[in-house]
Amino acid sequence: MCRKWTGGAFLGVDYSAGGVEITESETLSWYDSSEWAQRGFCNRCGSSLFYRVKEDDSFMAICAGALEIPEGLSLQKEIFIDEKPDYYSFAGDQKTFTGAEFFASMQVEEEE
Amino acid sequence: MTDREITKGQCHCGAVQFEGKGPIMGVDACHCATCRQLNGGPYMGVRFHNGITLTQSDSLKWYDSSAWARRGFCGDCGSSLLYNLKGTEFYAVSSGCIDMPAGMTIGQEGFIEEKPDFYDLAGEHTRLTGAEAFALFQKDNAQKDDDND
Repeated sequence: MCRKWTGGAFLGVDYSAGGVEITESETLSWYDSSEWAQRGFCNRCGSSLFYRVKEDDSFMAICAGALEIPEGLSLQKEIFIDEKPDYYSFAGDQKTFTGAEFFASMQVEEEE
Repeated sequence: MTDREITKGQCHCGAVQFEGKGPIMGVDACHCATCRQLNGGPYMGVRFHNGITLTQSDSLKWYDSSAWARRGFCGDCGSSLLYNLKGTEFYAVSSGCIDMPAGMTIGQEGFIEEKPDFYDLAGEHTRLTGAEAFALFQKDNAQKDDDND
């Protein structure tokens, strides 16, 4: 899903509650990409911008390309590694999760 | 290259559909700030030997991303789809929107000097600066013009 939407791999930066204030949004469109999530994009230029979970206002991910990322950050985790095509890989020793592993880890976090 | 004659592609919601014609000429990545801003991360695109045909395009929107290029995206779902050199038949298709054949690898990365530190693509392939990529592109096109003479 992320690959179809962004055209490649999704690189997102997570923010939690109150962490994102949208200061100009006339051309912001939201697309229901699944039962649980929405994607925000600029309907003028097509830039991929946001990922949000519909029933959880405390979470928003921002496409890394839309931000000036500070130096010294590196990829933390890759998810849905089982759906990654063969033709590219990210370098580094970050953790990888299958889709099932990722959903399971989210549930554990919620229960804690 | 692959030996496929037709490769179907579409955005996530299906409102924009197209066909790539002929073999896939390879997959290239671009790290320039424009590609990253539009796509959210590095751009990965493919070109087809015989170009593309749009089979459903009511929701396709074009954005002039520079003096020389425009980007096509779905106005309904926002999927990034196409890169076109204005006024030419040069079209690159976002690799995420097509069913990529197995066995392909990234051919080259462009604008490597604009790549942020926080990610790297693995593998042994050509990595070019923006200036090197432009120079190579001009050389390729000059070669093609010669071939057509």
